[in-house]
Amino acid sequence: MPTLRPTLHLDRLGSVIAGLIGLALFASPFVTYRANRIVSGEGRLLVDALPPAGALITVVVVLGVAFCAALARKPLARLAAASLGLCVIFPAIGISAGFVTPAGNTFARVSPAIGFWLLALAFALLAADALTRLRLGPWGRLGALSVAAGALALLLVSGAWNDLSLMKEYANRAETFWREARQHLWLALGSMLAACLVGLPLGLASHRVPALRAAILNGLGIVQTIPSIALFGILIAPLGFLAANVPLAAALGIRGIGAAPAFIALFLYSLLPVVANTMAGLSQVPADVIEAARGMGLSRRQRLVQIELPLALPVILAGIRIVLVQNLGLATIAALIGGGGFGTFVFQGIGQTAIDLVLLGAIPTVALSFAAAIILDAIIDLTRRGAHDRD
Amino acid sequence: MIEIENLSKRYGDNIVVDDVSFTVGDGEIVVVVGTSGAGKSTLLRMINRLVAPDAGRVLIDGQDTTTIPEDELRHRIGYVIQGYGLFPHRTVAQNIATVPRLLGWDKARIAARVEELLDLFQLDPGEFAQKFPHQLSGGQQQRVGVARALAAKPALLLMDEPFGALDPVIRGKAQDDLLAIQRRLGTTIVLVTHDMNEAFHLGDRIAVMDGARLLQYATPAQLLTHPAEAFVEQLVGTVERPFRLLSLVTVKDAMEPGSADGEPITVSATLRDALAQLIWRGRPALPVADASGAPIGRISVDGILKHGRPLA
Repeated sequence: MPTLRPTLHLDRLGSVIAGLIGLALFASPFVTYRANRIVSGEGRLLVDALPPAGALITVVVVLGVAFCAALARKPLARLAAASLGLCVIFPAIGISAGFVTPAGNTFARVSPAIGFWLLALAFALLAADALTRLRLGPWGRLGALSVAAGALALLLVSGAWNDLSLMKEYANRAETFWREARQHLWLALGSMLAACLVGLPLGLASHRVPALRAAILNGLGIVQTIPSIALFGILIAPLGFLAANVPLAAALGIRGIGAAPAFIALFLYSLLPVVANTMAGLSQVPADVIEAARGMGLSRRQRLVQIELPLALPVILAGIRIVLVQNLGLATIAALIGGGGFGTFVFQGIGQTAIDLVLLGAIPTVALSFAAAIILDAIIDLTRRGAHDRD
Repeated sequence: MIEIENLSKRYGDNIVVDDVSFTVGDGEIVVVVGTSGAGKSTLLRMINRLVAPDAGRVLIDGQDTTTIPEDELRHRIGYVIQGYGLFPHRTVAQNIATVPRLLGWDKARIAARVEELLDLFQLDPGEFAQKFPHQLSGGQQQRVGVARALAAKPALLLMDEPFGALDPVIRGKAQDDLLAIQRRLGTTIVLVTHDMNEAFHLGDRIAVMDGARLLQYATPAQLLTHPAEAFVEQLVGTVERPFRLLSLVTVKDAMEPGSADGEPITVSATLRDALAQLIWRGRPALPVADASGAPIGRISVDGILKHGRPLA
């Protein structure tokens, strides 16, 4: 008779996550306390950073999540544990800020420390792993993203984080923040749109005319190798000349520095992925499908619109996804030449050694790229349906 | 009626189709057969002007095809290729509806036509209409490809190796189905193949091509009994010739009066099938029955064999 023994299944990634949680909980400061925004601060362990009852609940929940990570097997249970963990530490960091700041002190700053970031990382890993194992469809992934965004918005709007250093930085420049946010989106999305308007016809042309192909791809490839700062420098001379000699250009706000060269640089970087993917997408349309379409009397235009573009769409969208994620990140550099965007805070923060200000610029940038990637991946999956879904 | 007059096509120094002429009667199946590279497909593609001829012309019911706008011409001619070229992002119903939609038929008429065709090709509309091509077997894809080509009721159907991608068992069935449907609809078909059995099975007339030239255009029987060139004789197969001849004649034409013992053979069977029965059952003769099963005569080995060689 085979021996029956209770098997304790230890999840490998889960064990790492549990270890990470233990390290974060007992060996790392949860928050950093600073007397003002630019001096270096002192760390506080979680047990010292929260009122006793809050600390107890947090520790219990976080340890519970660690056990779940190591032992639970059902993806849904793991996702629930990760969500619970995030739902506890995110408000906790806000409460902690209020608890650690001496009453009436407006100069003191409290910011998340390594312990908090490790916990957030551990829970996010757990959640991401669980979501991967759940194999959510495109709608499920969009749903999960909306829930996460909603929870984040709730935390921000409710004021739960108002005592955190980051939010104090935000409160001091709320107006500037939203102006730069708009500028950032305009730079990233506008240049992407322009790249699509130019890149799609260019990709189509190089698909139809093989002679153009090498020239276009090589040209765009060279642009891609120029570092962004160097590209800004290269653009200063011609744009400055344009602004000085063409009144219309100056009236449109084109100058050697500022948003115009940033926009143009982002546009140039965006062209290669759009053109190359349009070409790749069109060339993978099966030859017999096109032959059949011709044989049935679909005109050139009907073939393009009804057959070639729909079949190439997932690949073209994959190119647009690359561009969008790349531009949301690259637009940060625009601030270097006065182009605005979230980079403004990053570079100001670096100048003032105010790390919270850096984060005020960096965190929204990362969040936007992350959300854009998920949304476009879902759209790509949706356009692939029917054509490529295999049972 | 399709009249092909002196069609020629060359690519550079390479002559692909050299001065080919023949006429296809209404409701006929003409099979263009030959080795690969003989120019068969190019000839076919010049009929719907996918390839522009360098010389010669094609008349459909007396009208020169160059006087009809290209796309309009192709809406009127069905076209089936070896890989079928079904649109992978469209359902079976949408695929079949392609040409009717281009012609601007209204929705109800398109839906009715799609259902009619699916029924005709033994594909249950409820099960198949909303499927995507990759969810179908090879045989089902082939049927959808032919149904799509017939959607707008073309008088002419061009088929380029339409059975080439099927395995032998399904291929035979698909050929029989095509014959049955063609007899029912009366569609004129020009079909290209390199398979001689397929040519004899389907063709009312066979056009033999080699090296860009049309060597012979004749009925299957004439091709067997009076091959125009050594190449044709070799292509039709000297060993198989008698058996192919027998498969072209039915029992009706070789029946004798009288009676015989044993299980009767139906009057519509080919002589080849009848001979197989006689050999297998070890009998010199068997009775012949009509469709209702009533005996109407006998068929003998000697009577059959006379049909296996050119009649003097």
